[in-house]
Amino acid sequence: MELKITEEGLKKALKSARKPEVTAKQKLPVRYHVEDFKVEGRTRAFLEAFAAILKHSNYKFVLDHYIRISAKCSRCTTNCQIYEVTGDEHDIPCYRSELLLSIYRRHFTVAGQMSGRLFGDPGLTDEHLQELAASVWNCTACRRCVNECPMGIDHGLVTHLARYVLSEIGIAPRALVVSTREQLIGDSGNTSAIPVPALLDTLEFLEEDMEEEKGVKIKFPINVEGAEYLFVPAVSDFLMEAETLMGNAAVMTATGGSWTIGTGYFDGINYGLFYSDHVLEKAVQKILAEAERLKVKKIMIGECGHASRSAKYFYPAFCGGKDALPIINCMEYAYDMLKAGKLKLDPNVIKERVTYHDPCNIARPGWIVQQPRELIRAFCKDFVEMTPNGRQGVCCGGGGGTVSIDEIMPYRMEIGGKYKAKQIVDTGAHYVIAPCANCKKQIREIIDYHKLDAELVGLHDLIYKAIIFD
Amino acid sequence: MEAWLEFGRGPLFRISFTLMVLGSLRIIILQIIGMIEAYNRSADKIVPWGDLWKKTFSWLIPIFNIWRKRPVYSVISVLFHIGLILVPLFLAAHVLLWKNSVGFGWFHISQSLADYLTLLVIITAPLLFLMRVLNKNSRFISRTQDFVIPLLLVIPFITGYICVNSSISATGYQVMMFFHVYVGNLIMIMVPFTKIAHCVLMPFSQFVTGVGWKFPKGAGDKIIATLGYGNKPTWFDNPRIGIVTEAETSQEQEDKK
Repeated sequence: MELKITEEGLKKALKSARKPEVTAKQKLPVRYHVEDFKVEGRTRAFLEAFAAILKHSNYKFVLDHYIRISAKCSRCTTNCQIYEVTGDEHDIPCYRSELLLSIYRRHFTVAGQMSGRLFGDPGLTDEHLQELAASVWNCTACRRCVNECPMGIDHGLVTHLARYVLSEIGIAPRALVVSTREQLIGDSGNTSAIPVPALLDTLEFLEEDMEEEKGVKIKFPINVEGAEYLFVPAVSDFLMEAETLMGNAAVMTATGGSWTIGTGYFDGINYGLFYSDHVLEKAVQKILAEAERLKVKKIMIGECGHASRSAKYFYPAFCGGKDALPIINCMEYAYDMLKAGKLKLDPNVIKERVTYHDPCNIARPGWIVQQPRELIRAFCKDFVEMTPNGRQGVCCGGGGGTVSIDEIMPYRMEIGGKYKAKQIVDTGAHYVIAPCANCKKQIREIIDYHKLDAELVGLHDLIYKAIIFD
Repeated sequence: MEAWLEFGRGPLFRISFTLMVLGSLRIIILQIIGMIEAYNRSADKIVPWGDLWKKTFSWLIPIFNIWRKRPVYSVISVLFHIGLILVPLFLAAHVLLWKNSVGFGWFHISQSLADYLTLLVIITAPLLFLMRVLNKNSRFISRTQDFVIPLLLVIPFITGYICVNSSISATGYQVMMFFHVYVGNLIMIMVPFTKIAHCVLMPFSQFVTGVGWKFPKGAGDKIIATLGYGNKPTWFDNPRIGIVTEAETSQEQEDKK
């Protein structure tokens, strides 16, 4: 499979699903839908929002550092899967960051303000704002470029901030904003708008299924006060990844773990990680409230990269600092149980070749890299790695919330996911294991779109097939 | 000419040296203060120090990193930096100059080593410039200073090398020395104000990024309040179509009644 995009592919990828009249009305040439916002005076509004964010958050010293240190060596081009496919200079991570850094330099540093007056620089223009709004959502925020920046600039952090500032003036993908609204102030309280009765029905149905298949009573404990683990998967798992959930339940039952699902809040998804610190904080605090209600000792996140990262790395910041409850991922639990000899897996069930996709959010910091591999090696005979993998792993192409934006699907397939498609073909694997709700959706679409001969599964899907009950 | 040279090596050198040191100290101290403030503001104190130290050293001494991607450019760049750092600081004549004007000196490298390192810079700097010009990515993202600085940096090396190693006329020597001294002073002044600042800031980079991801609690609410959005963030009720203040809202309600 050729990595570089063809002209025809580029045409397909860049086609906008937006109606031209909406684009004209909003003066926003982007591919994602945006709810109506106040168009006139938005450059000023952007600068005000930027100033307010700099005042109250921790970004100022980071930007001060980045504007001084950036050497423009363009080494990041070698580690950006978007750039490697398009070859377009506008997709260079350093260029994307410069879009925001130049605004900071011009409007928020003394030197910038002085030279602006001296040379009559008009400052932030609407065109610049439009380019920024389009550019930051072309990035999957996978932070692979960070590994190759000699100056240590985190383009992922800059992109995150740019999206946050834009969202404060109303420019954010509608898909994410609507889901967040349902999660934070809607009746269902979760991003997929699943009502509690439907959840209970689903779980009951799965319990019956499991008893039929495995001959063992496997329960989904609901609202158990004082349980050790509060289980919080990506809520879409309840709709789309039943096998993964059954795997989670099977592991907990086989190892005698004490766990519970809370009906007060059962959604690990946190789109705040992608576009707004405000949302990030509110969503993480919903987990805290549920954990306090059920008096659990630890929080276990299901198979989901961004849910795990937003909990692990932001729960302490927003929910009690040092006293915050420990956060683990379900794969860490399974790994510990495997090491302790409590989890037994049949090595003769999975005969096909398997490969493992590293979700950026959990692999990039080096948090969950070895654990799933040890689990896989414990029961899969034919395991092959993708190259590169682990902390250097390539994003599925749907990272940074882009997978939830359905209207940019062609972009995700032709550009974002091209590298992953090539990796999958190169391994020749039948099963592609992707322990992340976002990656699962994206890779499933990749397999369909590029007509690959592979099947997408979660790690717990396979564990469910191979698990042995005593 | 002699007087100009004396001025450049004497008072002007002291001024530029002071500007360089104080300017660099200023940005370093501001950086550290910013980092400590950010760290204190966030409740999350879990920073992966070990990982950050490892990353810092892996880029300060990039023996293992340079072969991975763009090896030719990387090797040239590293050689350039080695000469660039060692010669100005440890050349015997320079150490003497420090001693005479700022009152203290340190060890120096041999003249032949200094000559080789100087040649290294003279060869690699134009190469770096050319690679920046010829590579379409680098050219596209470069600002003016990115093109100018390598060429500016190489001037003191060329002139210095000529002064030491060739038999030129006394006037020629003075002209060379003039450029050597004055461009050298200019570069020193530029250190804190241009991208050359990375020579003092780079060791902090990984830590800045590490702490940068630690967010303070309650910042989102304060930002909304500062912007006058009240309790209406974007996800609440799409208030960004014409911002409605609290007063206006109650007025509207009365109108409806």
